[in-house]
Amino acid sequence: MMYSTLLRTLLKEVNTVSMSKKTQEELDRWSKEVKRGAVTLAILALLSKRKAYGYEAVKLLDAKMSFLALEQGTVYPLLRRLEQRELLRSEWDYEDPTKPKKYYAVTDEGSMALSEMSKAWTNLSREIQAVLTEVE
Amino acid sequence: MSSNDPTKLIEQYLERVRVYLPLDSEDAIVELQTHLIEEAQRIGGGTMTAGSAMMAIERMGDPKRVANEYAGSGKKVGPVPAEYVNPVSRIIILLLGVGAAFTIGLSLIGVTITQLFGADIQNWPFSIPLMIFLNLFILFVIIGGLSLLDRDKPLTEKTTLESIFGIGVDGFKAKGRWDAAGDFIMGVFWGVVISIPSIVILYTDAFKALYIYVVIFLFLGAIRGALFYFGGENNFNLAVEAFLSVVWIALAVILIDVGWPIRYVYNFNGSTWALFDLEGFFLSNDIPFVPFDWIWIFIMFVTVVISVWRIFASSMKISMYLRAGKRLWWQGNWGERRRLRAPLWRRFLGEHDQFQQKDTVYHDGYREPEEEQ
Repeated sequence: MMYSTLLRTLLKEVNTVSMSKKTQEELDRWSKEVKRGAVTLAILALLSKRKAYGYEAVKLLDAKMSFLALEQGTVYPLLRRLEQRELLRSEWDYEDPTKPKKYYAVTDEGSMALSEMSKAWTNLSREIQAVLTEVE
Repeated sequence: MSSNDPTKLIEQYLERVRVYLPLDSEDAIVELQTHLIEEAQRIGGGTMTAGSAMMAIERMGDPKRVANEYAGSGKKVGPVPAEYVNPVSRIIILLLGVGAAFTIGLSLIGVTITQLFGADIQNWPFSIPLMIFLNLFILFVIIGGLSLLDRDKPLTEKTTLESIFGIGVDGFKAKGRWDAAGDFIMGVFWGVVISIPSIVILYTDAFKALYIYVVIFLFLGAIRGALFYFGGENNFNLAVEAFLSVVWIALAVILIDVGWPIRYVYNFNGSTWALFDLEGFFLSNDIPFVPFDWIWIFIMFVTVVISVWRIFASSMKISMYLRAGKRLWWQGNWGERRRLRAPLWRRFLGEHDQFQQKDTVYHDGYREPEEEQ
């Protein structure tokens, strides 16, 4: 009797662990998808307030948005793509010749895109919040 | 070989990244360089040390992955993994270009590729697929072996495979500014020299009829040099280079039949300079004139090989720049690489790299705090 209780408890523990691992995996997958959409908005929002060069942008994003956990491997290619899509423009600053800096700033097109994306994000957040409140 | 010089470590690491990036990625390299210096300074509490540079490099990670993320290709082509697409395609293009250049150069001097090693290759051209297969097999075995040997190398040290891929990077480097200046000066100099009347009288009759075209070509070459000197590498200058290379090949086809162009040389007979019939001397003494013809053929061969390569590289670069949205003219670069360290002569004079003492100050005045230990 005592052994069967112990076995049941052990099985329950194993089940809990496997469930949490699965949940963790699901959370990771979901986070990745959310980040993918949010990172463009975050960079545009950041650069709409002030121009910044690559390293500066990486550090600012890292300090302000821990959830996004952005690294240079994500930020630099995204800056480059946004520049190619003409949402950002860049200019080189050679004031310190040992560390030339490529400054990025939002273009007019980028500002308009940011404005629309912000509205869409606000709507989405509000609606998601409403759904979550109903669930709770 | 590892170094204790942080700037050298960063340069070595960026050399590895460069191998995997597309051509014309100097901006990306400079951006990554600034990132690494600032990160190393932050880690070192304002001063860059070998340790902090190494840590910044390790945080950035594998050069293949960094280059692939930055270039953003992310697609594999056939069996070639995404990160190898750039270096492999570049080295294939380089080999094809060199092969084409030599084949055209050889056919110009009347040698077919099947006779290259003194004997006709059997079953030509049916032996080609078998030869390609065998060579590819050997290549894969060599690459596999080299990759195994390079497994434990530090991030700052090029692998053997990367050294091979590096040939592809150097093969397509833009013309240097001083090379362009040299093209201009030499073009003008030789154009003037070979049209001086006292030089013209030395030519064979056949060359006399043609030398003016060579003079025109040399002056056009000088203009090309000037264009590259002022404009760097751009589509217009590359198109000029490709056009002039085509012109030279056409000219070389005629010139090779003309043979050695100099019949007379000046000879000082004790009181005056007189003309000495070089060709006549050889023929009257029953000495074959062949070595001079060989020298002429060799000169034509080398210049044609270079011209074919230029046509190949220019066409490739023009299509690359057009794909990148560039038009005909812009201020291009001169193939220069930004060096972190002061040149040797400046270091000899006591000038040191300045950035090692500098803190990171952002444009709005924000200063990076020292990292907590």
